[in-house]
Amino acid sequence: MKATIGLEIHVHLLTDSKLFCSCRTSLMGKEPNENTCPICLGFPGSKPKANKRAIDHGIVLAKALSCSLVPEIRFSRKNYFYPDMPKNFQITQYEVPLAMNGYVMLGNRKIRIRRVHLEEDPAKLIHVGGDITTARYNHIDYNRAGIPLVEIVTEPDLEDTKEARLFLEKLSVILDHLGVYDPTTEGAIRVDANVSIDGGQRVEVKNITGFRNVEKALNYEVVRQKSMANMGIDVSRETRHFDAESGTTSSLRKKETEDDYGYIIEPDLVKIKLHSEWVDKLTESMPELPDHRIERFIEQYSIGRFQAGIIVNTGLQLSLFYEECCNLYKDPKIVVNWIVTYLLKSLNYERLNIKESKVKPETFVELLKLIDEGVISERTAKELIKEYTVSGESPRKIVKEKNLSLMSEDELHKVVSEVIEENPKAVNDYQSGHVKAAEYLIGQVLRKTRARAAVDTVRKLITDMMESKPR
Amino acid sequence: MTTIEKAHLINEKYKAFNFIAEALEGGEGLLSGVAVSVKDNVCVNGMQSTAGSKILEGYIPPFDATVVAKCRAEGAGILGKTTQDEFGFGTFNVNTGYGVPLNPHDPERSTGGSSGGAAVVTAVADFPHLAIAESTGGSISCPASFCGVVGITPTYGRTSRWGLIDYANSLDKIGCMGKTVREAALLLTVISGPDKYDSTVLHEPTQDYTSYADGCAEGLKIGVPEEYFGEGVDTGVTEKVWTGIKTLESEGATVTEVSMPFTKHSLSSYYIIAMAEASTNLAKLCGLRYGLHMPLEGNFDEYFSEVRTLGFGEEAKRRIILGTFTRMAGYRDAYYLKALKVRTKVIEDFKRAFKHVDVLAAPTMPVVAPKFSEIAELEPIQHYMMDILTVAPNLAGVPMISVPCGEHLGMPVGLHLMTDHLEEGKLVKAASAVEGAR
Amino acid sequence: MSSTVIDRDLVRRVAEAAHIKLTDEELDKYAHQMKAIVEAFTELDQVDTEGVEPSFHPIELENVLREDEPRDWAWNPLGNTVHKENKYFKGPRIT
Ligand SMILES: [Zn+2]
Repeated sequence: MKATIGLEIHVHLLTDSKLFCSCRTSLMGKEPNENTCPICLGFPGSKPKANKRAIDHGIVLAKALSCSLVPEIRFSRKNYFYPDMPKNFQITQYEVPLAMNGYVMLGNRKIRIRRVHLEEDPAKLIHVGGDITTARYNHIDYNRAGIPLVEIVTEPDLEDTKEARLFLEKLSVILDHLGVYDPTTEGAIRVDANVSIDGGQRVEVKNITGFRNVEKALNYEVVRQKSMANMGIDVSRETRHFDAESGTTSSLRKKETEDDYGYIIEPDLVKIKLHSEWVDKLTESMPELPDHRIERFIEQYSIGRFQAGIIVNTGLQLSLFYEECCNLYKDPKIVVNWIVTYLLKSLNYERLNIKESKVKPETFVELLKLIDEGVISERTAKELIKEYTVSGESPRKIVKEKNLSLMSEDELHKVVSEVIEENPKAVNDYQSGHVKAAEYLIGQVLRKTRARAAVDTVRKLITDMMESKPR
Repeated sequence: MTTIEKAHLINEKYKAFNFIAEALEGGEGLLSGVAVSVKDNVCVNGMQSTAGSKILEGYIPPFDATVVAKCRAEGAGILGKTTQDEFGFGTFNVNTGYGVPLNPHDPERSTGGSSGGAAVVTAVADFPHLAIAESTGGSISCPASFCGVVGITPTYGRTSRWGLIDYANSLDKIGCMGKTVREAALLLTVISGPDKYDSTVLHEPTQDYTSYADGCAEGLKIGVPEEYFGEGVDTGVTEKVWTGIKTLESEGATVTEVSMPFTKHSLSSYYIIAMAEASTNLAKLCGLRYGLHMPLEGNFDEYFSEVRTLGFGEEAKRRIILGTFTRMAGYRDAYYLKALKVRTKVIEDFKRAFKHVDVLAAPTMPVVAPKFSEIAELEPIQHYMMDILTVAPNLAGVPMISVPCGEHLGMPVGLHLMTDHLEEGKLVKAASAVEGAR
Repeated sequence: MSSTVIDRDLVRRVAEAAHIKLTDEELDKYAHQMKAIVEAFTELDQVDTEGVEPSFHPIELENVLREDEPRDWAWNPLGNTVHKENKYFKGPRIT
């Protein structure tokens, strides 16, 4: 049985003020309802006024998704009653969305974008004394109400949960590159998913926050629908609510009138003409898109597609970090190896992203230079990167303070002699033709020196000394 | 007696206020020493503003409407909030949440609506007073005509709507009333102009409209649209209106007949657009954030329905239901969108006429103020039909003025003058000529 | 649109969508009145609007936009309600 998945993705656009009023979009440290005004609370007598930057962001995003822009946009009122709606209608776009008919490439699969439009976010509801079905009443916090959202609607082109996740990741990287959203904000992306099985009825799963939850919700829903089909039960068309805690979806009661939003054109706002000068100016200064950046990295830095993909798809900040390092260090291949193999691992372990961390290009390449200069061994560097990721201290300084630099030849010679003295059996083995025994001895030296010796140097010393040692 | 005490007396006699200020403040400026009354649907910071509806009882706006702020800046004191039909839903000011105002010329008759209270105070105040009123489909002209005062409805967007409790946003216009054309023009001068809080306000700066009130109609071309003198217009009213038009002629204007063929479609177009917009505007009123509250019982569907059923008056419910219907899937194209297209034809009617004439002249209302007993006999649709002469210019957003032009059956008759967009100056000029000769 | 049938059922459905409760008598009355009004509206059928653009405003402005500059509004958002608790608005339950 084949699944067909279409997504409606709501993204918080990165602006300083809300879509129709001047309240802030940053809610950090705000008391409930502190970040409101008569406009975003819909007080009688107040009127909306559209934020230019939100439209700018919408235009840039539509271009990045290869959509056609409409020449003139208007906002509409989508009318339905709900306690999170300050006006019991949402200002959104209906007749004329900002853009239509785009696509995103996933490898060689084309995922079509049906429409892209702007709208205002509703408030946050906190169910008091239960969940959505059992709470006695709700606490309403309108701080979020009016934050600009862009809604991206795909055609039902996604074939399974994995593809849906890949699509979202790719979309997230595009948004990140465009600088139109902040991936670190909680709930910056919310998804409604339409799922059906083998041409069966379409089920909408509403309001899923976070990629991991999208995957969970889709998995649950696909399995649910498949097992119903296997039992010969028809899947009915409905809207379901996703519960992140249990990872399950459940039916939401709906009235027949609820689907009828009775749209009208928002009469408090005027039409917005997307003049070509405006659009062209934005397009010209549009940041490089991820797919293009990957190709450029391969070309410019002679690195592999796989590594270029990891750098770019991890996010804009890492791409910028990589390029900055390449400006400061001679070999881009060594840089990419160290980032992909060690730095990312260490960041992930500490649950940090490059932007939040104290890792800086200047100090990171210092680490690579220390190896080149023969000050520390690669092995020491691999150990050091963990501490560096957390503290961001200059690696040169750490090496000095912790005495991690390579030993002098004399010192090393002394340690090698000791190891040879202490391990007669291994020496014997080596001399009777078991060359592998040398590796054991090298390990012993590195342990004793706390890796303050280069492997090659140690190997040479050991073999030389054993060759010259009488049997 | 203080002005505030006088306002209380007016209220006792005519029920003209929903709220009277405790004290009259004021300062220096064009409106120094003038008490400005404000229609209840225009927000005054800290003063209960209900738009005449029980569902907004207790709503204290946390800001001034732009027009109110402009009046204060010119030294006016805000006298109080004047009675109106609930949200502006009415022609006779009988659809009210807080009592029905009485016509000063005959208390058994209607003041006209929906800015009834504004017209009453303007008519009877024996102190310096001007009224902020508001029109969606004729709510300034009608009561001005019935109460015998001057009412100006400016071009759509000439005045900011920031602070106006919406009826139908694409039609609502804040305007003004005065005893004389010059007085009304003074208030218009103060309240007009751009405003960063309203996306639909026009960007042209205000003018000194009083400078046009020179009593002279020399050179003005007056058009008389035949469609405004048809069946249903009282012959006594027609007679007085023609007296007014003849006055313009004798003051130097030329008079020609014009035709506005889409006038007859304006009523349906107006009511569909107005109700569609109104029904969405009123959705926010649900007993949560302001206005009428009830104990939080039931789920949100039940609670909202409970509050709205209790809070809205009969006409408000009728318009909400009709407005919801006209924009529902399946009906939307035939009603809401069709009405917007017909509106284009109505606007074209005016644009065509104003290529040939400066001012259109017609009766403001087809009748003089009716008795409450007569109004009680009317079906809702007959109420709506009373607006036949005022809805077309309101749909087109052209400025209009109702100026008294005589009496019929002992009641005032209003001459309705209309000009092209932003031609308020010509309007004041023509009206002052009619007034001067009276 | 002349075929639109306004009956009690439709009025009930529309009123429910608008969150207004009607008694049986009100339903009868409103259905009767709305029928007359909606029938009168059908006269718009006579107007040929082929190729005519709708007028959303009497005077069409364009691109009236705000710069993205945040500003705090000094006020008490809960000052007009009785339904509040710990700085939150209190709203009715969902189901
Ligand atoms: Zn706000």
